[in-house]
Amino acid sequence: MRLLAGLVLASIAFAQMRTVTLPGKSPVVTLRVVFTTGAAADPEDKPGLAHLTAAMLAGGGTKDLTYKQIVDAMFPMAGSVAAQTDQEMTTFIGATHVDNLDAYYKLFRAMLLEPGWREDDFKRLKDEATNALRIGLRGNNDEELGKEALYSVLYRGTPYGHYSTGAVSAIEKMTLDDLKQFYKQHYTQSHLIIGLAGGYPPEFLERIKEDFDALPAKDSTPALEVKPRAIDHTRALIVEKNTRSVAYSIGFPLDVKRGDPDYPALLLMQSYFGPHRMSGGRLFQRIREIRGINYGDYAYIEYFPRGMFLMDPSPNLVRRSQIFQIWIRPAEPPAAAFTLRLAVYELDKLVKEGIPADDFERTKEFLGKYVNVLIKTKSAELGYAIDSLVYGIQDYNGYIKNAVAKLTREQVNAAIRKHLRADRLQIVAVAANAEDLKRQITGAGPSAIQYNSDKPADILAEDKIVAKWDLGLRPQDVEIVPAAKVFE
Amino acid sequence: MRLLLFVFAAAVLFAADPPKKTFPFPHTQEDLPNGLRLVTIPTDSPNLVSIYIVVQTGSRNEVEPGKTGFAHLFEHLMFRGTEKYSPEKYQEVLSRAGAASNASTADDLTQYYTTFSKEDLPQILAMESDRFQHLKYSPELFKTETGAVLGEYNKNSSNPEEKLDEVLHDTAFDRHTYKHTTMGFLKDVQDMPNQYDYSLRFFDRYYRPEYTTIVVAGDVDPKRVRALVDQSWGNWKRGSYHPDIPVEPAQLAPRENHVAWPSSTLPLIAVAYKGPAFTDTQKDWAALDVLATLAFSRTSDLYQKLVVNEQKVDTLDGEMARRVDPNLFEVDARVKRAEDVQYVRDQILDTVKRFQGELVAAGKLEAVKSRERYQFTMQLDNSQTVAATVARYVALKRTPDTIDRLFAVYAQLTPEDIRAAARKYLAESGRTIVTLTGPAAGGGK
Repeated sequence: MRLLAGLVLASIAFAQMRTVTLPGKSPVVTLRVVFTTGAAADPEDKPGLAHLTAAMLAGGGTKDLTYKQIVDAMFPMAGSVAAQTDQEMTTFIGATHVDNLDAYYKLFRAMLLEPGWREDDFKRLKDEATNALRIGLRGNNDEELGKEALYSVLYRGTPYGHYSTGAVSAIEKMTLDDLKQFYKQHYTQSHLIIGLAGGYPPEFLERIKEDFDALPAKDSTPALEVKPRAIDHTRALIVEKNTRSVAYSIGFPLDVKRGDPDYPALLLMQSYFGPHRMSGGRLFQRIREIRGINYGDYAYIEYFPRGMFLMDPSPNLVRRSQIFQIWIRPAEPPAAAFTLRLAVYELDKLVKEGIPADDFERTKEFLGKYVNVLIKTKSAELGYAIDSLVYGIQDYNGYIKNAVAKLTREQVNAAIRKHLRADRLQIVAVAANAEDLKRQITGAGPSAIQYNSDKPADILAEDKIVAKWDLGLRPQDVEIVPAAKVFE
Repeated sequence: MRLLLFVFAAAVLFAADPPKKTFPFPHTQEDLPNGLRLVTIPTDSPNLVSIYIVVQTGSRNEVEPGKTGFAHLFEHLMFRGTEKYSPEKYQEVLSRAGAASNASTADDLTQYYTTFSKEDLPQILAMESDRFQHLKYSPELFKTETGAVLGEYNKNSSNPEEKLDEVLHDTAFDRHTYKHTTMGFLKDVQDMPNQYDYSLRFFDRYYRPEYTTIVVAGDVDPKRVRALVDQSWGNWKRGSYHPDIPVEPAQLAPRENHVAWPSSTLPLIAVAYKGPAFTDTQKDWAALDVLATLAFSRTSDLYQKLVVNEQKVDTLDGEMARRVDPNLFEVDARVKRAEDVQYVRDQILDTVKRFQGELVAAGKLEAVKSRERYQFTMQLDNSQTVAATVARYVALKRTPDTIDRLFAVYAQLTPEDIRAAARKYLAESGRTIVTLTGPAAGGGK
């Protein structure tokens, strides 16, 4: 097993920082420096502070070097430093050829430990953050907008209640002092996990540990508590914007995370019902393959941002609270209401009937092997190993293989019945004619569906049931907001 | 600046003494009697195998009017089954193999890729050969799949950059099929349900061994792979179709176009010039590729000026498109305020002029060469990216050997070559500029 062979997981008593190493023969050295803090630590009136702080470190100058000097120095090495900020994790990802390790690491170290806090970098990165919200998300990406709006609604009033990039008006008001304060308080050794993989020399880890020993030992912020409110009945949020078609995200809080007893069972459910960007899933088959309604339909038990650009999930997005989510890619407006009913109908069927026996065996075989594919790059392997340390499980690959091998269909279907449901849903739609869509999804139907080709009789019969499927939505449960107000 | 000197020294060393092979993996390349090509690359990553099946057919091959988007439609139809493997059966085999599988289409290729555990290699190779030879879909399934393609157009359509790209190519090209994007024109996508018969013709033309290369990378033995491929792909019949792809006439005067985007967005500007086809023997293409980096990447003077210092521009980049036939040298910028679009455009044009007049510093050129090599080497860290990288070059020249040849050309480039390429190709007469802006009050910051 590739994962186990070179894996040295160690919690070392070097102050409180933790390390995860995957030494190997590769000429590429991969660094993942994780701080177990993030957007959930943003002060209430400063959503986006953790994101902007990380952006300043990865995209600004250091005490001695301007940003331009850093870019120029990294350039011939093809080196870079990327930051990823989530609710509970901030990750700095770097890679270099071992030829350039010393020069590259000097830059990496200075960026994280000796930030320059220059005003011109700050102004540029603030613009970048607000443009990411206004243009990248609200303007150009209806699907991600819907997904993030779903998270914001479900976690309203909790530390996860804002998108990790923040809100435009709050970002505009932030000062460099806010960032410095956040850095001082939260970039501590108690939050630090140093991840290192590839063909680095043996003494390199000690050098990093000595350098990062300069960070303060502890973060005195009280431990995080994230308790999403229960949903009493199905609700919908329609984000209104000028767009061609209608995208949906549907979900509810899920009290299961990696390491919990029902996690492997629900992962198997996900692999059957809606594996990311794969054509074998039940939702994909029923909505796209058989009916040709849209481009894809998937389900998730863990946070998976940027899914439209990625085939595999990014590691280092550990969260203590997760949601179950269905992602329905854009449907043409005349089919939009029917598509929503179809997704909820399929969810209802999953909960009531569970996974059929032959599909269960097939999915079990799939998952036991697919974990090899999932962790195919060094960077992913390292990221997963860090996540496993935080979730308190063995290596992910071994964890899933062992657990899945033992699962029975009865266990999985029981976990589905226990944790999933087809009522009390939060629905988010991104659509052009919000009032019209509202009227269509709150009524008893029937919602129309027209095909460009003949469909088998069983599908047409099923469509009659789907067309009148009761979403349980009353007009007062539907909220409409213009896209320009979301994350503003 | 001791630190910077050190970095630079290391980089120069690497560039000055290039290893003979940039592509570090030994590999085999064999042709079957029917014209099918097989490239096998054993890597040291255990258990996994990645297969890329590259068909040298993309939107470039869509020569008939009204039929844009068909190469891409086929990427979808190929999952619609055969007599032996229904779509359900096909899915089941992939599922039981724990495979990650997908496909993609571009101007010059359509590729089908699967990554899985090595014990499933015989079955996957056999199943893939079956759909390439015996694909069979009913008119009903065909129509259903066109709905998914329209769905894909829809999910792309909320992005103004896709629209800018569509209009830029439509404006810059008159006759060559690079005039349309891989998605195709919306009217053609909407008409696809009526084109079942044409789709059969398209398959008959292009899904043939002489257009196809199988790239296998991972925990494999080339001899065994060859035996398996002979067994299941050996009877595939060679075709006879040669598309008459129109030659683009020389552009005689600069062109401009504008897109009024209906919703709030930042202004975009694309400045493009007619460039050369990809080549691994002449210096032109490589020189323009390096020029795009020198003049418009994050390390360029213009980026420093517009993005870092003046902060009028949000993103800036340049690229010499890597295509079988002559394509575009393109500079793209996203501007923060509509009133700066003209200024940014002038700055881009001034930069082009500068590179036509001045010689680039030798040190900067060496830094780009070093970067290209490191970037290339560092991405090859698993079998899937090895196969994917080779597939990109196979689409152009049908062999991984083009990689080492291209890097040999890069190594020879001089500052004079860069200037000569700028003078030859970045001429005003071959220029196309397209801008895109949202409603007047809208936009970001």
